[in-house]
Amino acid sequence: MTFITKRQLAVTVAACLLAGAAQADTIRVGVIAPFSGPFAIWGQQFQQAIEVYQAEHGTEIGGHSIEFLYRDTGGVNPDQTRALAQELLIREGVDYLSGLVFTPNALAVAELATQSETPTVIMNAATSMITTQSDYFLRTGFTLWQVTVPMADWALAQGITTAVTAVTDYGPGIDAENAFRSAFEAGGGTVLDAIRMPIQTTDFAPFMQRVRDQAPAAVFGFLPAGPPTYAFTRAYNENGLREAGITFLGTGETDETTLEALGEPAMGLHTAYHYSAAHESEMNHAFTARLAEMFPGSVANLASVGAYDGAALIYHMVEVAGSDGPAAMQAAMGHAWESPRGPVSIDPATRHITQNVYIRMVDRDAEGRLINREIDTIEAVPDLGLSQ
Amino acid sequence: MKMLRSFIPDTLLIALAVGAFFAFPYDLAFLTRIVIMMIFVLSIDLILGLGGIVTLGQAAMYGTGAYAAGLFAVHVSNDPLLGLLAGMAAGAVIALMSGLLLMRAGGLTLIMLSIAVAQVLAEIANRARDWTGGADGMRGIRMGPILGQWRFDFIGQTGYIYCVVVLFVVLFALKGLKASPLGLMARGIHESPARMRAIGAPVYQRRLILYTIGGAIAGIAGALAAQITQLVSLEVFSFTLSAEAVIMLILGGAGRLYGAILGVLIFMVVHHLAASVDPINWLFLIGLMVLLVVFFLPKGLLSLPPALQRLIGGAR
Repeated sequence: MTFITKRQLAVTVAACLLAGAAQADTIRVGVIAPFSGPFAIWGQQFQQAIEVYQAEHGTEIGGHSIEFLYRDTGGVNPDQTRALAQELLIREGVDYLSGLVFTPNALAVAELATQSETPTVIMNAATSMITTQSDYFLRTGFTLWQVTVPMADWALAQGITTAVTAVTDYGPGIDAENAFRSAFEAGGGTVLDAIRMPIQTTDFAPFMQRVRDQAPAAVFGFLPAGPPTYAFTRAYNENGLREAGITFLGTGETDETTLEALGEPAMGLHTAYHYSAAHESEMNHAFTARLAEMFPGSVANLASVGAYDGAALIYHMVEVAGSDGPAAMQAAMGHAWESPRGPVSIDPATRHITQNVYIRMVDRDAEGRLINREIDTIEAVPDLGLSQ
Repeated sequence: MKMLRSFIPDTLLIALAVGAFFAFPYDLAFLTRIVIMMIFVLSIDLILGLGGIVTLGQAAMYGTGAYAAGLFAVHVSNDPLLGLLAGMAAGAVIALMSGLLLMRAGGLTLIMLSIAVAQVLAEIANRARDWTGGADGMRGIRMGPILGQWRFDFIGQTGYIYCVVVLFVVLFALKGLKASPLGLMARGIHESPARMRAIGAPVYQRRLILYTIGGAIAGIAGALAAQITQLVSLEVFSFTLSAEAVIMLILGGAGRLYGAILGVLIFMVVHHLAASVDPINWLFLIGLMVLLVVFFLPKGLLSLPPALQRLIGGAR
């Protein structure tokens, strides 16, 4: 049996690319994300934000036109993610990869990105160590340490010295617990109890009772977005923690796409996060207005801003380096720009985005809608997870 | 003559596998996933189609095989074939251990218990973060060349050939098993356990053996997936995987081995094409296809030619 050698294939691919280049130089970007199943909202938010960016900035930059290709992973599925990335790289000849919501999916692409020297802009997957797995990984999302440590610091600054952590018992939950505890205790606070709640639980009353019995000044919660968060915030109110003066501290629990469903019980919850759709800046107003105009009923959230900035970063790399992977990575290092979330830059040490983290409180806007109102800003926070 | 005829589908399959290699040189990663899924669904065909053991937890053995092969590659040796053996052994051991209990049950109890086994294993893998990486997935799997000769390449040629060879070894082994006394006994047990018991067949023991062999094959499939993807996530134990595999089997036709192969091929190709054309609404098409097949061809796509023959014959 004769094998097609790598050289032969490379020649074929190069020939195809050159043939394409003669007419119009198109840079292709493969976006791998869930577009079906329970996590379909991620892919949808990504695609809408990218289309908003393209509507604002056109589909051409530096003499190249840019085309985005979308591929569906369903949920956590590293096998399929790797196969899709391979298909995008080999058959579709993409020059950039992007998307990637879940940590295992991002990790499955690491070796491919390195071997093919393809800059890969991770729009969400939030475990700190991901960017260490390939020199071609960049990230425009956030990490748990990045938002949790400022939450703990802010709490200490408000005179909160005792807290109980209540997290869902899975990887990210445990990371959040560790991040909060280390920052809180380093600042002189005391974590009275660390509660880990089973991932399938929807009845949080016993946990809330346990928190209340220990009478801390605050409870730090971390749960996957969705139904558990509703039940958790309801239990926080129904078990009288609010009346007892126990402050709720969180991170992504008050996501814009689920905030309205949380309703009145969400009022006054404190969270630390890198983006609020209610961020006061001209750029953010323009972004959210354009999104609502192009996709009625859509609201901007962390996925939208991750994808919008991912597109911005890819546009910048294409403008400077075209389809040259290593040069594009050079161009990305230290690149700073204005985003709907505020000023951001790529940290050359971690290839992760450095950004402001905002302390927010759930409130109602002029029209009576629930929003995350920013009440304090911690400026230019890098990823704090890798130094731990 | 009859002997020769029984080899026609196999020759056809081999031709198809070789043809696909040359016809779709850019899609080998996807084809490899299909081949691995075929091996997994074959393992279900053995226990469900042949032995009549209805479970929705075959992912327990698939996942165990995947983690075993991953751990083996990281801590012991990066030889793919040894890793495959490790995955196979791990799948067999889990099937034997859980089978001691499961094979005493039947019907709904068996289904529930089989799901529970997979869930328990998933939780163990989630807890043992130091070993498995928990929800982040197990990384650091780097495979050596096969037999010290063939390296896994970027395009996936080695991976595809490797998986296809394993598929045919499994398929021929299962064909042999089906024709053996054990296979015949399994068929008897499928049709009437009470009667088999009455003629003195050790029903429980035979079902346990069958389940263990099925577990070993599922372990092989899991090990291949771990070696090709070089990452294992908790999803290897997911209920969705078990359920989807059963759907593919029913789509193709249970109990005849080729049904498993046909079902996986049709399901995954339609899935792939539909999902790349319309990444948001493709599930609808899959649902429609499964509905139509189950409604009009309850014995699976493999029964399409005889059904057509009947239809044409009836029209005359």
